[in-house]
Amino acid sequence: MSSQEDGAAEQPGPDTTVGPSISSSSSSLESDGTTGDIITVTIGATVPTGFEHTAAEEVKEKIGVDARISKDRGRIYFPISTDKLFQVHLLRSVDNLFVVVEEYDDYQFKQSKEETLMELQQLASKLPWNNALEVWKLNRTLKKKKGYRKGGNGTKVKPESTDAAVADTEQQEPPEAAASSAESQAKTESTPEAESSQQDSAEAAPEAKVMKFRVTCNRAGDKHSFSSNEAARDFGGAVQEFFQWKADMTKFDIEVLLNIHNVEVVIGIALTEESLHRRNISHFGPTTLRSTLCYGMLRLCKPQASDVILDPMCGTGAIPLEGAIEFNSSFYVAGDNYDMAVNRTVNNICHIQKRRADKGSAPGLPIDTVRWDLCNLPIRTSSVDIIITDMPFGKRMGSRKKNWDLYPSCLREMARVCRPGSGKAVLLTQDKKCFSKAISRMGGLWRKLHTVWVNVGGLHAGVYLLKRTGAVFGQTPEDVYESRGTVNAQGDEKDDKELSEVTSGV
Amino acid sequence: MKLLTHNMLTSHVKGVTKGYPLLIKATEVKMNEVEFNPQFVSRMIPKLEWSALVQAAEELGQRQDLPGELVSDYEKNEDFLKKVHRVLLEVEVIEGCLQCPESGREFPISRGIPNMLLNEDEV
Repeated sequence: MSSQEDGAAEQPGPDTTVGPSISSSSSSLESDGTTGDIITVTIGATVPTGFEHTAAEEVKEKIGVDARISKDRGRIYFPISTDKLFQVHLLRSVDNLFVVVEEYDDYQFKQSKEETLMELQQLASKLPWNNALEVWKLNRTLKKKKGYRKGGNGTKVKPESTDAAVADTEQQEPPEAAASSAESQAKTESTPEAESSQQDSAEAAPEAKVMKFRVTCNRAGDKHSFSSNEAARDFGGAVQEFFQWKADMTKFDIEVLLNIHNVEVVIGIALTEESLHRRNISHFGPTTLRSTLCYGMLRLCKPQASDVILDPMCGTGAIPLEGAIEFNSSFYVAGDNYDMAVNRTVNNICHIQKRRADKGSAPGLPIDTVRWDLCNLPIRTSSVDIIITDMPFGKRMGSRKKNWDLYPSCLREMARVCRPGSGKAVLLTQDKKCFSKAISRMGGLWRKLHTVWVNVGGLHAGVYLLKRTGAVFGQTPEDVYESRGTVNAQGDEKDDKELSEVTSGV
Repeated sequence: MKLLTHNMLTSHVKGVTKGYPLLIKATEVKMNEVEFNPQFVSRMIPKLEWSALVQAAEELGQRQDLPGELVSDYEKNEDFLKKVHRVLLEVEVIEGCLQCPESGREFPISRGIPNMLLNEDEV
């Protein structure tokens, strides 16, 4: 990505783009002081594992750049210029965002633990922090402008003082960057003015306030001689020494990330204070799904304008609610048999509507809630375009034995209400064995298109994308067989018994 | 409960063959502003049971001048689409019940949520 520089920057492009080869970013801090420089950085995002490609698609659609999917599952990287930074906050498939300070594709760790940790410590003072810190600052301003998502997550209002603290500490950097520190002070005052319309940008006098930080280390791989704790401790110690920041595990201003995955090492600065994944839900249930996972599932089925989308086991309504907000040209019906679930769903919907009303938008969302039995849906045949749901896993909710009966019944009922030929289903379940068996008997009604393997709360689950066949319900061989309840060329006696138990309740 | 949802709901009491459309008896109705999307409305119309929609609107006193039969070329008629939008998405039944036209069985609506669960003997 090329960087865009206004004004008379003395050095052209390469120094200001970020990638493994970057060291000094001083040229990006030279500016005419009025418009502020635009720099390009690499942003890293954590996404639900299995949905990396979906997230990359969203990045392409909303930011217009190609994202790189890391070998370390659940992460994608993409470039962005600071004038477009606000766009990262429009992404709905990402849990956490960070700005990359430096990346190493093939880090050569030393043999011994002592040497390795020593090297990590030395690394702290050599890294190109400037651009990442600028982006971190800019991001703080953006978040204040938005009056960020959920109130009261600890945003502190002192941008000038932190700017000053950073500017001060930058003067302690090694000699070759010393020239940049004076400019960086000028820049930090100009950037907020260029980007923000808030009053805080105009205020001058900063107090000397010490910045608080913490280091979080994620380490994966079996050839490392050290633990993530050791790395975080030693690297963190060196960072503290270098910047003269104060370490604080809970009330920190800056979170430095040290991600080590085999020989891939990424150092970054967090841009999100709390994970974005619970954004819509204020009333949780025992198995509420992350909004980012809901978004991934919705993207998979590509909702179209006027699609009728059903979630027949909605729980707290996380999936249909995410749909009603993000894919709002469709209509969602959320249903559950459990009264607490439908009440929580309605509470969550009301909460969002109130938030919208407070902002002056039309509050109403295209979503309704019904209490029903999913094996006996009070819905007209062939009236639904998409069915999307999180099926009971049999661990925290329901049981494996129950799934055995439940899955075939509800797959049939879902096939009945789903439009033949064009209808689709996106179903999340951990009970893959039971699901596969149930689906294999429904070849006349459902066809498997695609499966995404995901991780939900530590459990390996599958998101199955199914297509409703063109067959009219009640006329496929399975239906005819079940209504007769007798002949089965392939099944054994046990199967016959199960099937007749299923049909007796219909 | 919005009337778009009502348009899809049907009685599934055992033995009932004509469980649609459900009759609405509302004791509390609210208006909720929803952003107008003409494409949504014009594409949704063919999926609806039009007469059931008109009847439901009538039952709530919200029919206004909605025609009993669909006019042709409604896709471009924004005035018409706005009226349909209003009736489909903005009228909400908060309290009341839905009644099966054949068996008379009533399904209560509370907090905008219709309870369509059947008793054991009705399944």
